[in-house]
Amino acid sequence: MEKLYGYVGKIARINLTSGEVSIIPTSNYVPKYIGGRGICNKIFWDEVGPGVKAFDPENKIIFMTGPTTGTGIPTGGRTVIAGISPQCYPEQYTWSGIGGWFGAELKYAGYDGLVIEGKAPERSYIWINDDKISILPADELWGLYTYETQLKLEEIHGKDVKSLVIGPAGENLVRMAVVASANETAASKGGFGAVFGSKNLKAITVRGTGTVQPADVEAVLRLRHKMGKPLYYTNPVKISKTFEGPGMNFPVEEGVKEIRTCCSHGCNQHCPRLFLDVKSVTQKSGRINQVSKCVGPFAIEWVNDCGWVPAQTFASEKNNNPACLMMSGAVVPPDLTDPAAPELFDFHPGDTYNLWEPDYDRGMVINELCSQYGLNKWDIIIWLMPWLAMGKKEGVLDDLDLGMEIDPSSEEFMKHLLDMIVYRKGYYGNLFAEGMARAIRELGKEKYGDTIYQGRFSKRLNGQRLDIPISFEAAWGYSAHWNGRGYQGSIDITAWLPILLELMTSSRDPQPNTHHHDTIDYMREARKDLYHGLAVPKSAIMNENKAELKEAITSCDWQLPDVYWPTAEAELFEAATGIKMSEEEMITAAERLKNLFRAILIRNYGRTREMEVNEVLPLHSYPDADGNVLDKKGFQVLVDNYYKLRGWDVKTGWPTRETYERLGLKEVADELEAIGKLPD
Amino acid sequence: MEKNTPTMNDKKYGRHIVQYPPEVSACVGCNACEIVCALVHEGKAGPMLRRIFLERDTVMLFNHVIHTCQHCVDHPCYDACPKKDAAMCLDEEKGIVYINAEFCIGCKRCIKACPFEPKRINFNKSEKKAVKCDLCRNRENGPACVEFCQVRCIGLSDQPLPPPPPTPAPPEGKPNENDSEQTPSA
Repeated sequence: MEKLYGYVGKIARINLTSGEVSIIPTSNYVPKYIGGRGICNKIFWDEVGPGVKAFDPENKIIFMTGPTTGTGIPTGGRTVIAGISPQCYPEQYTWSGIGGWFGAELKYAGYDGLVIEGKAPERSYIWINDDKISILPADELWGLYTYETQLKLEEIHGKDVKSLVIGPAGENLVRMAVVASANETAASKGGFGAVFGSKNLKAITVRGTGTVQPADVEAVLRLRHKMGKPLYYTNPVKISKTFEGPGMNFPVEEGVKEIRTCCSHGCNQHCPRLFLDVKSVTQKSGRINQVSKCVGPFAIEWVNDCGWVPAQTFASEKNNNPACLMMSGAVVPPDLTDPAAPELFDFHPGDTYNLWEPDYDRGMVINELCSQYGLNKWDIIIWLMPWLAMGKKEGVLDDLDLGMEIDPSSEEFMKHLLDMIVYRKGYYGNLFAEGMARAIRELGKEKYGDTIYQGRFSKRLNGQRLDIPISFEAAWGYSAHWNGRGYQGSIDITAWLPILLELMTSSRDPQPNTHHHDTIDYMREARKDLYHGLAVPKSAIMNENKAELKEAITSCDWQLPDVYWPTAEAELFEAATGIKMSEEEMITAAERLKNLFRAILIRNYGRTREMEVNEVLPLHSYPDADGNVLDKKGFQVLVDNYYKLRGWDVKTGWPTRETYERLGLKEVADELEAIGKLPD
Repeated sequence: MEKNTPTMNDKKYGRHIVQYPPEVSACVGCNACEIVCALVHEGKAGPMLRRIFLERDTVMLFNHVIHTCQHCVDHPCYDACPKKDAAMCLDEEKGIVYINAEFCIGCKRCIKACPFEPKRINFNKSEKKAVKCDLCRNRENGPACVEFCQVRCIGLSDQPLPPPPPTPAPPEGKPNENDSEQTPSA
């Protein structure tokens, strides 16, 4: 076999039922499926058929790195977990990205990935010490918070181990439980923490002392320079008297102390904020450091939704910056000599909701509890808490006895409620542990989901009240996220329409790996004919393909895609592997991964056009911040065009045989044809 | 145990890499220093190939500590080497204690002699060779760890501290009414 660069050559299959460990050569899957999520899709397609449920031992936890992981290629520390998701509604195959240091360490131990199957007879954790893999009793770890679990593993196996862990939420099969690493770095989407729990698996800890060899060291260093600019600034502790967040600016009595940090091995940026010495309810000292990026600040204050400037999404040649630079504050000032500047920096203020007033301590405590219990903040901060606030104001929750007066602005109430949920205490604890999508249906969606909140006011429309339901449900069991209404709802129709297509064809909220990007020229073109033109579906497809590549090679959504550097992904891949692929070949590879994912949804979960169109219509029937609602008739044309561009049948939404075969997936087409799931 | 501090520019130690205090620049724990160190020396990345050692603060993320060779003036590692001047060598002009891998026999005596804890000399178990910081003595741009540190939290002990980050100059004409609301969210 030819030497593989970037990859280390082995995937470990670990059967928790039998304790057997076997090795799969990575070369079975690469370069065709590239790495990361691409390999996850292929393994899942080959090994998990229809009918398996998320908590069945037959479900698999597939963890994959990319060829860039551990090589020093910028943001290669990103990795992927995939399998059947208990958070998805209905349950289906999905994935979650995670940064941290586990993936690089796993490669240094000699593995590109892990396939974990079965169910351990006892509470267990996996210990990987280079080429030795053991399944050990987890009695000492069970019940611990996520941070303490990691520290305990360091105590047992040495300071250099890196761990993926679950908290009490995962142990108790809470459907929105995360798999965590480091501080607040987590695979949040999907509820894979609960899949760990269902397999009696508390943690995976690894020590790797080997090496990873990129094909071209000089290219790696060039990429670090290129993707690092214009940074290389210092990161001093910043002390201020006020907390500033998206749309937030209020005084904090004890002051705010923070630095920037990074979230994965080898990252060349430092976009997350690390708040120092904040209130803690899990540490004896009563203080802790807390990472915060996008969702976290909204537990602190939610008077207004966050605003949006088109420059976050659309770029011109003169104003083109990755999100990480904007986030870290290191972005260069806008170039206002750019003729596109008035459009790019036309600020869209977020809608007013008046959910809760600022409280720095309360917000930090909720963030800490989510991290320590191992809960997906999107389900808690973006869905449960606003639902409680809006539902209470509308009188919908009067009959709910949660053991305390419902008040999401109260730290004590939220501590009480999260404790109920995580430990599944009582009827309501169990109900909300099933996640918001299921809880609301159990309570009765018409009343508890669809009641209109009367307190949403659009600043774009001079304070006009706009309808929004009390439940911020977007699709597939996930909350709104840059959908033009609900949380991060200030984005305009040229952006939320392609995002809608991305959501439609996914099995979860796709925005964490598909933050939409395009050129200012796209925005202008899309506006000419939103529903009948090809600008919107082409933009969706471009972003979906780039997202596939990001999570395959692997790299970070906060740096890529760069719409003026279309060969970025090919350059990163080549630096790691030495395999030269043109931009077109990379896009074909991305299409292969997307269509294989599509085939899984079709074969295992009966995905059709009708199903996915109906899934995304409800939220988009409410007005966006500009008062626009989805044109349902026009949307059908948009979907037609999207499917045609994808090579999918417009009636069923299924890829054609020609499409599968063009992408080297003939065997997939054959299998689907045998079960009647190829279009006529 | 002896510690790294940026004030160690005394007669006991030679020119070496220092970690600045967080008031100057807080380490973000990204490991870039370790990775590029191994890449420029060995063409591969991995814990056993690094010549600079990041001790990560797993949970609090604030107290990441970077351990480096101090290039001790009395060079006990050099003295302990049975192949001194062939394997462990001195560049007296630059004050650098370095290893010529070709002649290293992997006896680990240099590691035992290193007065620091954790040790500042690593061991490549595949090649059975000791590896240590040579301040990238043959590299045109100097130490790669310094060049590629994204937050400039490390530097050479005889160099001035890096400047604070620039305060972004306000653009001509404010693009919107509320700058703080421009922060992108994931």
